[in-house]
Amino acid sequence: LKILLTPNVRGNGYFPLSVGQAHALEADMEREFLETACACRAVICCRVTPLQKALVVELVKQHKKAVTLAIGDGANDVSMIKTAHIGVGISGQEGIQAVLASDYSFSQFRFLQRLLLVHGRWSYLRMCRFLCYFFYKNFAFTMVHFWFGFFCGFSAQTVYDQYFITLYNIVYTSLPVLAMGIFDQDVPEQRSLEYPKLYEPGQLNLLFNKREFFICIAQGIYTSVVLFFIPYGVLSYATQSNGVPLADYQTFAVTTATALVIVVSVQIALDTGYWTAINHFFIWGSLGTYFTILFAMHSSILFNIFPKQFHFLGSAYNTLGQPVVWLTIALATVICIAPVLAFRFLKLDLKPQLSDTVRYTQLVLQKKRKPGGRAGRGVGGAGVASGSTLGRLGRGGSRRSGYAFAHQEGFGELITSGKNMRLSSLALATFASRHSGSWIDTLRRKKHANSTDKTR
Amino acid sequence: MMASSYNAKDEDAVGSGGPGAVKSKKPDNTAFKQQRLPAWQPILTAGTVLPAFFMIGLIFIPIGIGLLVTSNNIKEFEIDYTGVDMFSPCFNCSQNYSWNSTSACTCSVPFTLDQPFESNVFMYYGLSNFYQNHRRYVKSRDDSQLNGDKSSLLNPSKECEPYRTSDKKSIAPCGAIANSLFNDTLELFYIHPNGSRITIHLVKTGIAWWTDKHVKFRNPGGNNNLSIVFQETSKPVNWHKAVYELDPSDPENNGFINEDFIVWMRTAALPTFRKLYRIIQKKKDNMTPTLPPGNYSLEVTYNYPVRSFDGRKRMILSTISWMGGKNPFLGIAYITVGSVCFFLGVVLLIIHHKYGNRNNNADIPN
Repeated sequence: LKILLTPNVRGNGYFPLSVGQAHALEADMEREFLETACACRAVICCRVTPLQKALVVELVKQHKKAVTLAIGDGANDVSMIKTAHIGVGISGQEGIQAVLASDYSFSQFRFLQRLLLVHGRWSYLRMCRFLCYFFYKNFAFTMVHFWFGFFCGFSAQTVYDQYFITLYNIVYTSLPVLAMGIFDQDVPEQRSLEYPKLYEPGQLNLLFNKREFFICIAQGIYTSVVLFFIPYGVLSYATQSNGVPLADYQTFAVTTATALVIVVSVQIALDTGYWTAINHFFIWGSLGTYFTILFAMHSSILFNIFPKQFHFLGSAYNTLGQPVVWLTIALATVICIAPVLAFRFLKLDLKPQLSDTVRYTQLVLQKKRKPGGRAGRGVGGAGVASGSTLGRLGRGGSRRSGYAFAHQEGFGELITSGKNMRLSSLALATFASRHSGSWIDTLRRKKHANSTDKTR
Repeated sequence: MMASSYNAKDEDAVGSGGPGAVKSKKPDNTAFKQQRLPAWQPILTAGTVLPAFFMIGLIFIPIGIGLLVTSNNIKEFEIDYTGVDMFSPCFNCSQNYSWNSTSACTCSVPFTLDQPFESNVFMYYGLSNFYQNHRRYVKSRDDSQLNGDKSSLLNPSKECEPYRTSDKKSIAPCGAIANSLFNDTLELFYIHPNGSRITIHLVKTGIAWWTDKHVKFRNPGGNNNLSIVFQETSKPVNWHKAVYELDPSDPENNGFINEDFIVWMRTAALPTFRKLYRIIQKKKDNMTPTLPPGNYSLEVTYNYPVRSFDGRKRMILSTISWMGGKNPFLGIAYITVGSVCFFLGVVLLIIHHKYGNRNNNADIPN
């Protein structure tokens, strides 16, 4: 087994070039191979069989806590694509075998950059926000029953109307979070490509891990405490303006349910970072649907058809017509949302993440662009231009991406034929110690020197 | 929510050529499919968050003060007449209770009002440690029977068990809620300084929800004489009188539509609750207060046993305002939350000034 350690173009790292690497995948050698390979910036494996490709991917998967991606275009890449966590197939010259076996497919290798930096990142962001919000709203909804248990003899009496419980997750809160999970963007796509460092939170699992999960849960429990105890405190002794007490079960149920729907709607409004028309429609529409269905179910029409099912007759009208109830709901909303607002503002102010900074800059740019048309861009963009141009320089090829293996027959032939490497082993050793300069240029100079020597 | 696969074969048409054009797999270049929809992107900046906190503080504090002042102007009086204490007037009645007693036990509780009660005065009875919100209790009723449905009258729902039938006849009204109807009678007397007892007139209608009285609860039809309508049913087990004897003097308040019964059937949410019992109308001339300060006497016909589960019974007299009865919690909560928000706004302002990242667009690490 020969592992050639060659200095790379920039001179800051090594590429191992392993020839005849069948042995590297044997059990005793594989850890060494993996350690060596991970110490380098990139690894080139040439003349590998499909099975070996899959084995290399498997090796990384097993021993490293990383998500692996394999991209390939031919039928010999299928096993590698299937082994990796994410398989990407390129449809083109070599047919569609790779495409059929892959999770994602496109036609040009360069689209990998968009897949990772734009779509993959957005997908991770959307998924994390969706999950966090989903746990939050369900904990806020369900834990109210836990607190009510202390006051109802632990008899499992529900705080809300049966129909509210059925429709809460299906109708009243499902569409806004779905819209957020589909359309949300923190940073527009051009910026995502310009600042590859935005990809880092996904790699480090920063947006949804155990800590974030517990924060979501804690927020849900806090909301449930507020949503139960504020109506409890107010309605115990409250009466309507005609003297009838408001402490009955149905009033309590309607008050708590309305407060819950409003609080979770305000929360999703805070969570949504990208308000398309669809988001607006879903969020306000869900609230409107809640009130419509509430009044419909508490009406006398449905009661006359099914008295036992719709026995909340008149509750909505009597409850929501009282100013005390609306004051209670407003109070509960403020108590639930104000801490969240304060926390998020402090986080943005004191420790902004890269995505927050980019987003803020983007919006400042847009504002400056609006009044003066294109003219304003040069002025306002000056501060940012340096950053973006630098980024654009690197656009042609993202130097930091960890591409997986691509089998190109042509280069393999070139290397193994030794046509450009007719050098003695001594020369090889000197190359290993050199850190600067283009190694191909050096080889060519040596070759030229050799040939001129020979001609002499 | 997975990233859509980008399947662009834009160079494809060149290779295929020919008149039969290959159908391109390129996705549509619409704003929706390319995720370029116009959108509003809000950011939490100091310019939006800090004014929001200050505004909330400035709105909530006056509302809280208004609520607190209104609440403090409401007059309320409460007296516990359970008879726990050996020296209380109703002690004997509470001890001697038995289900089969035919003669009612009465006790008289004296009290004093220090301040005059103006305008309409509302009289409530309150119970403590009474779990009207227990799940088995809450579902133990038959709403179609109470709505006057004939078939449910003679065949009530299974939910009412074990208070569904008695003596082989169905119970009307069935269920545990109806069975535990509050049946104490409370009367008020004003002890005039010259010694005479003046009865205070108590109005027993207008105490239930309009929808309850006119839509939800209906007497079964067929006959104006309710005793005939209910003749094939029996009274609930713990009642002294049948349902058509609740108020024989007023046909609009008899049977299922008796307002005391309706008020009781509207179950409370918490174990300590109060229900509206009677209304004391304000005097015709608006000068004299409805209840002048002085000595009063509460006459109780003690029918309702609460000692067995350590419950308490109270009578409450209260005036009303636009926000209802005496409720200091809301006023205090608003003042507290308003001040906390204002204080939080100030703190955030200080933090933002000292440590905040005001130059957000200066350095973007590449």
